[in-house]
Amino acid sequence: MPEPVVEVDHLVKRYGDLVAVNDAAFKVSQGEIFALLGPNGAGKTTVIEILECLRTPSEGTAKVFDQDVTNNAGAREIRSRIGVLPQDFNGLDKLTVRENVDFFGAMFRRRVPTQELLKTLGLEDKAKVRFETLSGGLKQRVGIAAALVNDPELVFLDEPTTGLDPKARRDVWKVIRSLKAMNKTVLLSSHYMEEAQILADRIAIINRGKIVALGTPHELIDDVGASRRIILRRGGAPVAELLRKRFDQVRVEEDGDVVVQLTGVSQVWTALSLLAEAKVEKDVDVVLPTIEDVFLKVIGTRITEEGELA
Amino acid sequence: MSRFMAVTVALIKNWLRSRSGLFFSFLFPIMLLLVFGAIFGGTGSSSYSLYYQNRDRTVDGSETQLATSLIQALNSTKAFSLTQIPADVEPKEYVTDRAGFFGGNIRILIIPENFQQDVLNGTIRVQLGISLGTAVTFYKLFEPTLNVTEKMTILNEIDILNQTYQAFPKRNSTLELILDSSDQSAQVVKGIIVSVVNSFNYGLIGATHVIAFQEGLIETRKFRTIDYYVPGLIAAFIMTNGIIGVTGNSTEFKRRGIIKRLATTPLTKLDWILGNILSQTLLNLLLTAAIIVVGWLVFGVQAIPDVYALLLIFSGSVMFSGIGMVLSGFIKDVEAASAVGNAITFPMMFLSGTYWPIEFMPQILQQISKAMPLTYFSDGLRNAMIYQYLPGVFSNLAIILALAAVFMVLGVFTTRWRER
Repeated sequence: MPEPVVEVDHLVKRYGDLVAVNDAAFKVSQGEIFALLGPNGAGKTTVIEILECLRTPSEGTAKVFDQDVTNNAGAREIRSRIGVLPQDFNGLDKLTVRENVDFFGAMFRRRVPTQELLKTLGLEDKAKVRFETLSGGLKQRVGIAAALVNDPELVFLDEPTTGLDPKARRDVWKVIRSLKAMNKTVLLSSHYMEEAQILADRIAIINRGKIVALGTPHELIDDVGASRRIILRRGGAPVAELLRKRFDQVRVEEDGDVVVQLTGVSQVWTALSLLAEAKVEKDVDVVLPTIEDVFLKVIGTRITEEGELA
Repeated sequence: MSRFMAVTVALIKNWLRSRSGLFFSFLFPIMLLLVFGAIFGGTGSSSYSLYYQNRDRTVDGSETQLATSLIQALNSTKAFSLTQIPADVEPKEYVTDRAGFFGGNIRILIIPENFQQDVLNGTIRVQLGISLGTAVTFYKLFEPTLNVTEKMTILNEIDILNQTYQAFPKRNSTLELILDSSDQSAQVVKGIIVSVVNSFNYGLIGATHVIAFQEGLIETRKFRTIDYYVPGLIAAFIMTNGIIGVTGNSTEFKRRGIIKRLATTPLTKLDWILGNILSQTLLNLLLTAAIIVVGWLVFGVQAIPDVYALLLIFSGSVMFSGIGMVLSGFIKDVEAASAVGNAITFPMMFLSGTYWPIEFMPQILQQISKAMPLTYFSDGLRNAMIYQYLPGVFSNLAIILALAAVFMVLGVFTTRWRER
């Protein structure tokens, strides 16, 4: 088991009567991509900002590189070894992309050459363009460049793709995957289920300051017993009747599609065998459970595109 | 490059590339310099307009010699632009009719009829009175040494002199001066005319000046009015850039999360504060250079900063940027930063002797001005750039340095690097 880079234990953060983080506990290992998944106001950013030494915990401990975040000497050590992409990253508007990266780089002793970073992030042709003229996706890429400028061992990415269009989002995902290839530890926060599922090795679902589920995507899906589904296109009533002989949760949609809810992989094979024996010649979709299903099961509702609970 | 130098360079670049920053930091002060220069640069006329009506005429209708001499004396002061009103018109109506679309201050001097005659009578009467008084004084002084015949002779002469003196009517000539009550220059105009008339009076009775007056200049260089505005202008805009510039910039950076992002790096709070202050100081030195160069090229400004002025500019920039950093710690949004900045700088700009002497203001405002840092800054700069009076430079510099240290320390306390 690799050494934990981040250790959070019984972490509480209060603002007056509001409990922003409530007894959170998790560890992030070296080289892991760890996602905090939750709606807006769940406490994701507060946890991240405590780990970035920007906020002081009310109770509990938070350690990065085995250094307590509340200790000044520890904070200095932590700050020199982390990279940070805050929510809505902003550079200095009138400086160019290269100047912005150089500016953030000047804060560190250890430096990755700016040119190398610009190349890695596909920003070479934008090097002389002023930050204020960039699109949201490009600004976010500059933010990632600034976060990597000190060759950090741990990178915090707070809502890295919020507000980006699908293409820009996928570009950022590609960069995040490349961080894993570079053996960097990544702690990201997101309210996008797909993003967490695709990128993260482990996910902590957080709601109202409390971590309500924690594990790998597979573990989470298995733990909550999220169901798989088989959809038979235009199956109609006869197919539904056939399936009802073996399964309880069978329904016919308005367009004639038949949806069967199944609990495990063995049930999927049983259903498919039954359909084959009956020589049912309909298109079949096997829909695997997702983190969204887990979220729905654990929280009881979905998250909208804007990050609010539906 | 050290961290605070990186902050300094980045802030300067960011500021210089911002149109609004450039306008308010450089172009606006230079525009104001050009306006002041155009008004006080010395190329226009600095004389006061004065209408006069000469009613003192000889039998043939020509002006009397004495009235003409008085007008020439007024003209020779070069303080007036004189316009004559015909003798046969009503002077106020005449001047009002000619005031034109924009009006103007009405100043009329009326030389009355029989001016020359009355002045001559009055002069002779005064001279006779002086002779009579002198004779009586001498008689009383030497009376014990005189015999009866000598006494009788002298008393007889005094009696004749007295009869001659009494024969001249006691009638003074009165010049009429009509001034507009709203005319701010009225007292100055009146003062110059009284001075000319007094000189005239003394000349007529043959008096000589017992007390002489020698004019000396405190400045070591030849300055014009615009030169006196330059230190004030520099001081005022260094204050504005320091307070509004730093507060606005820091608040905007805070709003956009840039300060929070920097706080996650090894950059310290002190690095950030020093970077802000140094960038503003360098921009202020650039502003000073721009004002001096434009002033010199356009108006031939002579008030060039020396090493003491540069020292003051440096300390003043640190002081006002320090005030800006302190305010930034309390202010959350850019609009509030602008409002608070203006609320502080505007009164200070007008109550600190920047554009006019503090002595012109009511006593209570003079006391208030002593509590304003700009008072000491502009006073110190004027002492350095105009009077070259070193005690005045050092006393103000000491106050500015002390205030700069206080605001720097306060800035460190009010700037938040770690949220609660």
